Amino acid sequence: MAKEVFMPKLSSTMAVGTLLQWFKEEGDPVEVGEPIFEIMTDKINIEVEAYEEGILLKKYFQEDDEIPVNTIIAYIGNEGEEVPLESPGISGEDTDDTTAETESESSKGIEVAATEAVESSSKTVPVDGKVRATPAARRVARENDFSLNTVPGSGPKGRIHEQDVIQAIADNTVLVTPLAEKIAKENGVDLTLVTGTGVRGKIEKADVLAYIEAQKAPVKETVTGERVKLKGLRKAIADKMLESVRSIPHVTLTSDVDMTKAIELRKALLPVVESQTGYRLSYTEIIMKTVAHVLGNHPKVNAALIDNEIVYNNDVNIGLAVAVENGLIVPSVKQANKKGLAELTEASKTLGKKARDNKLTPDEMQGSTFTISNLGMYAIDGFTPIINPPETAILGIGRIVEKPVVVNGQIEVRPMMVLSLSFDHRVIDGAPAAEFLTELKESLEDPYSLLV
Amino acid sequence: MQLTKEKLLIPDLSNDKLIDLYKQMWQIRLFDEKVDEFFAKGMIHGTTHLAVGQEASAAGVCALLTVEDKITSTHRGHGHCIAKGATADKMMAELFGRTTGYCKGKGGSMHIADVEMGNLGANGIVAGGIPLAVGSALTAKMKKLDYVTVCFFGDGATNEGSFHEAVNLAAIWDLPVIFVCENNQYGMSGPIKEMAKVEHIADRAGAYGIPGVVADGNDIIEMINVTDEAINRARSGKGPTLIEAKTYRWKGHSKSDAKKYRTREEEQEWRKKDPIKRYKEVLIEAGLLTEEKAEEIRLAVKQEIEDAVKFAEESPAPTLDDLLTDVYA
Amino acid sequence: MREITYLEAVREAMSQEMRKNDDVYILGEDIGVYGGAFGVTRGMIEEFGPERVRNTPISEAGIAGAAVGSALTGMRPILELQFSDFITIALDQMVNQAAKIRYMYGGKGKVPMVLRTPSGSGTGAAAQHSQSLEAWVAHIPGLKVVQPSTAYDAKGLLKAAMDDDNPVIFYEHKLLYKTSSDVPEEEYSIPLGKADIKREGTDVTIVATAIMVHKSLEAAKELEKEGISVEVVDPRTIVPLDEETIVNSVKKTGKVIVVHEAVKRGGIGGEIASMIAESEAFDYLDAPIKRLGGANSPIPYNPELEKAHVPQVPDIIKAVKETLNRA
Repeated sequence: MAKEVFMPKLSSTMAVGTLLQWFKEEGDPVEVGEPIFEIMTDKINIEVEAYEEGILLKKYFQEDDEIPVNTIIAYIGNEGEEVPLESPGISGEDTDDTTAETESESSKGIEVAATEAVESSSKTVPVDGKVRATPAARRVARENDFSLNTVPGSGPKGRIHEQDVIQAIADNTVLVTPLAEKIAKENGVDLTLVTGTGVRGKIEKADVLAYIEAQKAPVKETVTGERVKLKGLRKAIADKMLESVRSIPHVTLTSDVDMTKAIELRKALLPVVESQTGYRLSYTEIIMKTVAHVLGNHPKVNAALIDNEIVYNNDVNIGLAVAVENGLIVPSVKQANKKGLAELTEASKTLGKKARDNKLTPDEMQGSTFTISNLGMYAIDGFTPIINPPETAILGIGRIVEKPVVVNGQIEVRPMMVLSLSFDHRVIDGAPAAEFLTELKESLEDPYSLLV
Repeated sequence: MQLTKEKLLIPDLSNDKLIDLYKQMWQIRLFDEKVDEFFAKGMIHGTTHLAVGQEASAAGVCALLTVEDKITSTHRGHGHCIAKGATADKMMAELFGRTTGYCKGKGGSMHIADVEMGNLGANGIVAGGIPLAVGSALTAKMKKLDYVTVCFFGDGATNEGSFHEAVNLAAIWDLPVIFVCENNQYGMSGPIKEMAKVEHIADRAGAYGIPGVVADGNDIIEMINVTDEAINRARSGKGPTLIEAKTYRWKGHSKSDAKKYRTREEEQEWRKKDPIKRYKEVLIEAGLLTEEKAEEIRLAVKQEIEDAVKFAEESPAPTLDDLLTDVYA
Repeated sequence: MREITYLEAVREAMSQEMRKNDDVYILGEDIGVYGGAFGVTRGMIEEFGPERVRNTPISEAGIAGAAVGSALTGMRPILELQFSDFITIALDQMVNQAAKIRYMYGGKGKVPMVLRTPSGSGTGAAAQHSQSLEAWVAHIPGLKVVQPSTAYDAKGLLKAAMDDDNPVIFYEHKLLYKTSSDVPEEEYSIPLGKADIKREGTDVTIVATAIMVHKSLEAAKELEKEGISVEVVDPRTIVPLDEETIVNSVKKTGKVIVVHEAVKRGGIGGEIASMIAESEAFDYLDAPIKRLGGANSPIPYNPELEKAHVPQVPDIIKAVKETLNRA
């Protein structure tokens, strides 16, 4: 019996994956654990490895095809074994019987076979990269600039009908705040024409006002230049940032930190860590160590807000924003509060490299409870970082720069650094956030206190 | 009118008319000869069926018809058209597919018609025109009009069901129609001797209770005489007559015919019975024509055909807009 | 208004026209004292005499040709063929002569005639006396094709057909002869090429011809009980076809089923379906166009088999539900 190879679901939000490249051709032998193809999800590129050994019997998709999760992409089996001509669709849906059914179909009544085919494939997602939709459904989608890819079809074999699209559009765009609705009504604005920028495209007051403004003075198409579709990682970032900004009331606190002692500490430990790990200790790890420590005293800052519940995390996992080509990835340093500087250095350096090489595993990208965004290598002092939901706070790190400061009534030149803490005001109020930042500042100015 | 010792012309025709008929036979022959030449040169597309050698039946039968009288014709119909008053220029224009043609270039060789002049049309379907002629005769009878309808068809058509159905209808209703079978001996390649058991097609008339007459189709005087009697019967309400004109087509069935089904000797025998030559001799003997005058007529017709060609060539072609016109009235 | 049968409506239309216009006459087999195979011309020979109600020999090719020839020369004949199956014998005259004469002759001459003939199954007359061959003639440019479904339509359409200067094939349905509806006594004309919405609805369009109009209406009534609103469009004439009415209905409902009695393969339903797919209604189609038609077999004698050959009310109901994904 041939074994199916399917599109893995690599995260809870992953619905489709894009097939980037095949490593094997039909007829090639495949070993267990050998990469068969590479896919791109909304977060990462990943090589999918074989769970079975045998011959790659059949490939149903081509590079660049977008394939729903769990869809059968290929079969591995013995040479000459029969497999379906087309992908049977979702793995686990009677697929074991697919070949047998094909063989025995002629012996069944035609009527019966036809009915079964309709039933078994009803409501499935398209697997050939083409959407099964009626002309009317396509027209409505076209008129509303709405993608059919996400619309569940109610017809036979998942065929999308007009009503399905209308429903999908309604589910998506007729989300509107009461205030926005009132304004729209007063101004005679058709809400179906307004693009919502809120959560799940919810129309907010600003959207309606923007629409009214746009109607007054139609924007002329003056922008020229290359146009690149928002997709993949860029799209994921865009969606996530928008969601964060739109749903989280951000407050940002800043504080200047005198880094004199932290610099001393780094100088002292640099050779030690390097000899242990082969990596150079950076301020990022010192700050991370300090943050992890201080978070232990401020559970609200190490929390998550999920569906109206505040989750106080047991672990302190520090997310580290890493700039990569065309985006930003946040791998997570697990249990940072239990790691020493050497371990932290090794972990963050390894994760950073993997992120840049697009080799992070899903696990390495999940589970952070607090994120650090370090722009200290640039001429940046303070900024307003955006929270990485569902976390409740994020720390922005600026450069270390020598500044005149008053110390004991005297103006002195000290290496100073600005910390910018953005927090979710739904979970944390100003005072506790300030307490956290103050303790962090003090700890960094006196890093030896960490040893206490 | 006693033309010669042997030739008695029964109906009263003027001398001018008799000369006209001579001219008309040349018009028929030279028109078809010119068409033959053009097809050979590839100047006309489609196909054509020539009646060279059969001029006497067309000219003879139509000699007594008025403008009110009708004819239906066949795929071998250029001669019938000319005999019923069509002019060479519009016919040639039709063959050239020009808008000045009788059918605006939409009918071609097989469908030349001039309804107003009583020519109800040539027909590409063998025996297709026979029921139409009966319908035309039915109109005359029902509207109590005086016209007769002459229905031309070939020997091959008499084996079609339509022929039998239509002749029977005309017979039972005593319709004023004259069935003229131009028996040129072959339905395409099929010799009528092998395709019908009766000796004469005219014998079939007996099956419908109408007179059947065998005539020498290459003798215009005889054709005029038998038609005269048939017309009298028709106009007096006595019903149809079947005339069989024994004749021969000198050319092949249509433009590409190797004529393997007949011998060259047979063709030569029939050429000796050239209807134009025979008529000329009668006219000369009757003192109505001289050799010089005859040649003059032939040359005049030749020029007429050349003029027709010129007219056709200079006529405009239809536009693509004409494709969809005239489908419905 | 009084109610008369479809058969009487046909007869009345002819009689009224023949009283007015001496050029109109009827010819056909056994149409004299016998009154025609289905009794349509009963009583007419008594009124109009044997010249104008012209009993013919059994010669479909001959009488068809005679009708064409007399039309070409100034009469306006009505030709009755006893069964529409026999059109095969008259077809040369209708297809090669009547339909083409005007065009072949460059717009000179016209053939104003009506060929009336009963079609359809349901009488147990089996394979050679039950066919619906309207698609054959609909295929021929130069012919018009009419299929009335009610007494009212029959009278008005026949008047229009008799007034038309083109050859018109007028299909009467045997099983509809005895059906009645309100029919005005005076003459009236229903233009050829104007469909009739026999029932308005919003969920699905059924385009049905002849007796299938009635079966579709019956199905619509049943479906209404389940909250399904069916629009029934009767084209009435398939040449010319009222594309606009059909397209507009399909644009409204987004779903369409074409139903005819004739064999589905090569039937007029294919033409109608294609027309819809090519029209602006395409973008409104929310389900595949469905066709219902006769089975791919000759019409059988056995009454159960005969019924199974053509679409019945439950078939139409099933098709509607499938189209609406409610099967």
